[in-house]
Amino acid sequence: MAAEASTGMNERVIRVRLKRQDGPDARPRWESFDVPVGTGSNVTSVLQWICAHPVTVEGKNTTPPVYDSGCLEEVCGSCTMVVNGRVRQACSALIDHYCPKDGDELTLEPMTKFPVVRDLSVDRSRLFSNLERMRAWVPVDGTYDLGAGPEETPEAQQTRYVLSTCMSCGCCLEACPQYTLETDEEAWDRAFVGAAVISQARYFNMHETGSSLKKVRLTELSGPGGVSDCGNAQNCVNVCPKEIPLTESIAAIGRQVTAHNIRQFFSGD
Amino acid sequence: MERHHFLLRRLHSLTGIVPIGLFLVMHLTTNSTILWGAFNTRIDGEGFDRRVGTFQKEVEFINELPLLLLIEITLWGAIAFHSVLGVYYATSGKGNTGAYRYQSNLRYSLQRWTGYLGFLFIVYHIATLRWGWSFLVPGGTEWSHHFAASTLAAALRGGDEGFTALGVAVSLFYFLGVTALVFHFANGLWTAAITWGLTVTVTAQKRWGYACTAIGAGLMVAGWASVVGFAALDPAEARQVEMSLHGEVPTDGGEAEARSMDVSSRGGDTIEHSGGQH
Repeated sequence: MAAEASTGMNERVIRVRLKRQDGPDARPRWESFDVPVGTGSNVTSVLQWICAHPVTVEGKNTTPPVYDSGCLEEVCGSCTMVVNGRVRQACSALIDHYCPKDGDELTLEPMTKFPVVRDLSVDRSRLFSNLERMRAWVPVDGTYDLGAGPEETPEAQQTRYVLSTCMSCGCCLEACPQYTLETDEEAWDRAFVGAAVISQARYFNMHETGSSLKKVRLTELSGPGGVSDCGNAQNCVNVCPKEIPLTESIAAIGRQVTAHNIRQFFSGD
Repeated sequence: MERHHFLLRRLHSLTGIVPIGLFLVMHLTTNSTILWGAFNTRIDGEGFDRRVGTFQKEVEFINELPLLLLIEITLWGAIAFHSVLGVYYATSGKGNTGAYRYQSNLRYSLQRWTGYLGFLFIVYHIATLRWGWSFLVPGGTEWSHHFAASTLAAALRGGDEGFTALGVAVSLFYFLGVTALVFHFANGLWTAAITWGLTVTVTAQKRWGYACTAIGAGLMVAGWASVVGFAALDPAEARQVEMSLHGEVPTDGGEAEARSMDVSSRGGDTIEHSGGQH
């Protein structure tokens, strides 16, 4: 049924290698599928077809592979996976780009920096836990009306808008050599937070109301797992699907953290 | 360790620039006199190789510095601190240049590998030439600041007479070690500016990148000039020059220096010959 999502032009069959894992502790294994595709097919539509026809190339019946997807337009980040060795969103990964010819091969794997739930679905709780750790919000809850929000200059708005487009997909973390798999939840408060979270700290530090938590954020970012753990490989900015200037965010937070610690050294609080 | 996470990280960054990086600049500038010393017209060049003479004078100047041992211990301490923490930090990451072939990612991995190689080189370099572990030097040469160029050349070549196989290996190790350290310093300067928050925008990072490339290229030339200059130097000829600087060269073949004169009779001739010209 999903194969009809293609336009019917340039019909061909591609070989899809899928890394499968039945559960968090199960051993991963590989399965291959021959999938009919056409112009306009993408990785998500390929996965839909496999789910409807879960038979491997050897003719073996298998379970439909588990994968996440949501918006189908590269704004929710849920379908992030490793396509042909590189992390990206499945929905925007066009088959015409990866497999232009009949018989071309496509390799799909789950992200490696987060624990696998099943097949291509991973648990990105650590990312959200680190956003909480960084107070990535504007504190407005209270017992009285805070009134109108602060005015914002167009310049600051320009900078902040791009930062606000982060969808917490985890591409920057998957590609980062300093961000490694950490399954122990207890260790999340000391492990590297990664580019996305650092960029969100910058985003909320720039907000007039949000900046009331700036000191807390910068203290957190000075500690273990903070901005100093960045190794400047700059893969994050190269793989970010939203083209967020993540390395500028890291440097900007580096500057804030430098000033914060010098100030703290002399003021003592 | 966790309590002083920020301080340790920033000290690690700082020590790479001061004192280690600063020393590297001075060290390579001094050592490259073994080539550009030929143009040093301010040294009394009558009757000897100006390169060896300039280098010898530089070494003597350094050896007359007050509190030299304190400077040395500061450097050794800084290098030990930077290295131990560096290895600890480096092992916390996992390179992925196979999947993500970006230039900055290659430099990330190179920064770590040049750190390891550079550290091994520095240990060998200091141990053999400063601490006198001459059993690690092929040919067993012990470096002396009185005969700075000749003993260094002998240590690099594996002895006083021509290259030995092990001498080639030592020279190659020096070449690789110096190359690694210069890269490590130049790239470290670039990343330090991001770490400290000096270069925030991509434009600024690019600009500083050009500056670091220029600094790195200049230092690389100085580093390679040093290694090539000393490896290509005839120890026996250099020794003649050094002895004449110390006023030890016998005018007509004294007994004490007979052996050295024999080894390098050609060098002795040159001295007499060019001496006669002036």
